[in-house]
Amino acid sequence: MIRLSNVSWRRERKASTPVLSNLSFSVPQGGFRWLLGPSGAGKTSLLSLLHVENLPSDGTLCLLDKDVTAHTPRAVLVRLRQRIGMVHQDFRLMPDLSVADNVALPLRLQHRPEDKITDEVHAILKWVGLGNQLNVRASRLSGGEQQRTAIARAIVHRPGLILADEPTNALEEPQAHKLLDMFSELSSMGTTVIVATHNEALVRRLPRPALTLERGRLVQDGA
Amino acid sequence: MEPKPWPFPFRPKDGLSLSEALPDRSLFILVAMMSFLAALTLTGATGARTLSTRWAGGAAQLLTIQVSEPDQPLSGASKSDKTASQSRAEIVQADLATLPAGTQVHRLTQEELARLLTPWLGDAGKTALPLPAVIEVRLAEGHEAPADLEQTLNAHVPGTVVEHNAEWSSRLRALAESLMACAALALVTVGGIATMITALATRAGLSTRRDIIEILHGLGATDSYIAGRFASRTGGLALGGGLLGTLLAMAPLLLLFRMAAPFAASTLQAATPAMPDWRTLPDLLPGDMLAGLAALPCVAAFIGWTTTQIMVRIWLRRMP
Repeated sequence: MIRLSNVSWRRERKASTPVLSNLSFSVPQGGFRWLLGPSGAGKTSLLSLLHVENLPSDGTLCLLDKDVTAHTPRAVLVRLRQRIGMVHQDFRLMPDLSVADNVALPLRLQHRPEDKITDEVHAILKWVGLGNQLNVRASRLSGGEQQRTAIARAIVHRPGLILADEPTNALEEPQAHKLLDMFSELSSMGTTVIVATHNEALVRRLPRPALTLERGRLVQDGA
Repeated sequence: MEPKPWPFPFRPKDGLSLSEALPDRSLFILVAMMSFLAALTLTGATGARTLSTRWAGGAAQLLTIQVSEPDQPLSGASKSDKTASQSRAEIVQADLATLPAGTQVHRLTQEELARLLTPWLGDAGKTALPLPAVIEVRLAEGHEAPADLEQTLNAHVPGTVVEHNAEWSSRLRALAESLMACAALALVTVGGIATMITALATRAGLSTRRDIIEILHGLGATDSYIAGRFASRTGGLALGGGLLGTLLAMAPLLLLFRMAAPFAASTLQAATPAMPDWRTLPDLLPGDMLAGLAALPCVAAFIGWTTTQIMVRIWLRRMP
């Protein structure tokens, strides 16, 4: 469950113009939302807020049944981040680590047993088509392979919320469709999914409610 | 191609690559140098304290009495006088026998006297100079020499000199305490410099790994995890540097202790100008000094670990 009530976010505390202004919407547990809008509308900023990389300057934000404010204890914020899977536009992989080690990171940070980690990582990498590249360094992967690694890392720990920023940019069409099907399946299994994209063909292929941003304001809540 | 076995069990797999972000050389060498200085300072302080204790405990109770022309009879004594048959030194010794019970009086033998004078006069046994008798008086614990002892002795045997070691011992003790205070200040300074060096190295490491830390933070790494990874690295380097610095300091320390050993004697009888044999030297080293030296690498590691923990945690506070 995600609920925003009059949420604003400023890059600097004293900045006069907020990047995001008075956002109010909610997404139920297991809901799927497209996040649409032109470049600079604030899609990435909103995803950063939902990933608890930033905290709201004003308003109230409730994520996975936890209120997120400046006063929320750090331990709570850490546990929240552990329950969120994020696919960044620039992938944010560890260049010196292998594909498998990159994907294993969220599980290792949650102290899962190493044999379980091995099984989970092998399965997810096989699913994204990287089963034969376990030990290849992330820095030596192509753009599409890096994107698939980032997607695998975002979902390997079965998060309650998946946030994806242009996750199909570097993927070919069949892979993009396969990814969408997986997001849809995860959503139907109870995972909340929010996908930011410019790709209208993709939106048409999977008709779901959309949140549309313009200049940091919500202009359409398709719920 | 068949993939290699995975996972590799003994390699950190979080991408921080701290061996590159916090390279071995600079921090390791600087901590080694700091530990070297600290070891020398610590030894100086221990040496000063040992000497102070000995002077305070032993030498303060000592009186040294010199009797010139010791074997001559007292001039001007009549034949009926009972001292007429005694030498000047014997008369002084007889007077000293009246000191409080428990007082030990010992006239240094010619051999003991020669041994004491050898560093200054060479083979003192062959010198043509007339040597006085030297009488060492050790007062019982808690007793003081009579204030008029020198007058009394001079009245019987003119020209007798009484040296009160207590006066010198209090001055030397004050000097030793000043040295110890300076050493403590030096140790605090060395600790402060080590802290600053570690803080600077940590800050440099954090700025080179900023992106990686942000990724780990986003994946749900706790502050303890990130701070612990950095602190383990700096703590390990500081431990290694501390060990090297302390070991390197041992050579000059042993040399210094060997040279200082003759001055540590609390009595004239025990004093010897000869330096102790290298093999017996470890037995002469104070236990608390050895314990202090052994603790130095651990203290260096503790400073490195704690400083890094604090620095990283403060740095992480920028992120929610």
